[in-house]
Amino acid sequence: MTSLTGDTDVFTSDANPRACIVLTGKRQDDLPGIYGAQERDAILAVFQALKAEGWVLSQRHVFDPSAPNDPVGLDTGFTHDHDIAAVFEAPTLDAALQGTVRLEQAGWARLFRTEWMIGLREFAPVFGERASNDHAWAFLALWEWNDQWCEATPQARTEYDFECDEAFKGDLAHDVNISGRQRLDVAHHWHHLGYWEISGPDVADSAIRGHERVADFKFTTSRHIVGRIRPMAELIAPFGSIKAIA
Amino acid sequence: MTDKQNTVAGSCLWLHYTRPRPHWYLVPAEKQGELQAAWAAIAQAAQGKGALYQGRYHIRGQHDFETVDVWTFASSQAAFDYWNTLVSAKYSEFFAFSNNIGLALSGEHGAGASRIEHRL
Repeated sequence: MTSLTGDTDVFTSDANPRACIVLTGKRQDDLPGIYGAQERDAILAVFQALKAEGWVLSQRHVFDPSAPNDPVGLDTGFTHDHDIAAVFEAPTLDAALQGTVRLEQAGWARLFRTEWMIGLREFAPVFGERASNDHAWAFLALWEWNDQWCEATPQARTEYDFECDEAFKGDLAHDVNISGRQRLDVAHHWHHLGYWEISGPDVADSAIRGHERVADFKFTTSRHIVGRIRPMAELIAPFGSIKAIA
Repeated sequence: MTDKQNTVAGSCLWLHYTRPRPHWYLVPAEKQGELQAAWAAIAQAAQGKGALYQGRYHIRGQHDFETVDVWTFASSQAAFDYWNTLVSAKYSEFFAFSNNIGLALSGEHGAGASRIEHRL
């Protein structure tokens, strides 16, 4: 597969790209008899089946293949219009799309109004300087090249890529682990996803200031999502059984 | 589900919403013609491989984009391959876009084209 732009100091092409699935979901109205333990169990059973079929359900597993591959998501409701976000990987694009339907039919659709975004991984993971630090949070960047980038010369784009690389090196100095880059343009207006493991929201803010300093956003439009990483089983719990998070 | 089920022609819908980026209007007519001919050849090649092009529809009156192209491919990978070839030929540098892929639901896309089983 051809990457949209070339490799840089920080990023290199992934030799074996998998399909990726990105979602944002908002909990629907809590009406009696719509979503309960039965649907929750059915969704978790689909996740187990997907894991057996080769899906990656936790990006931690991308960074460290010995880490658990149980499904996780981001708790995002504290500052976003959606309640959860998540990133998975599947063996193929068709498997990715079919998996979303299996989840929806198992009961996911009863719980969440969801935007599913499907694409392909194109860059390999990158580790921060102290990569094994606590990363209880994640940061998602959905972004696309804007009209100005499309107008720019190849030389201007390459110079821009290396300017941004300086900011990405700054991210790594923040102990951010970057799960490569995913390409979403086959099925969305967003061109790419970046997934970061971070120790907290302040890290995302500080790192993004570095991107602003190098004028990252002169050539891109982006949406940023911050959330605390939680087990999916907790995030999809029926309303009555949600426990306070310590 | 296996990849064997992913080879039925016409089972993956691909919708392509598009509008010209501003600098497209500054491209000389001759150059525009060359680019459009290259993109048309890519579309023709995709159809030669079995993709079905159902046409381009004008939607500007009720949408952020100007037109929508309706395609069906044998698989979402085939849709990606077509799109990736267009991107490599600079199409997306001159046209803003939003795309969707969709798999046919069981029994709703003719004999043999079923892709997704209703499990509930």
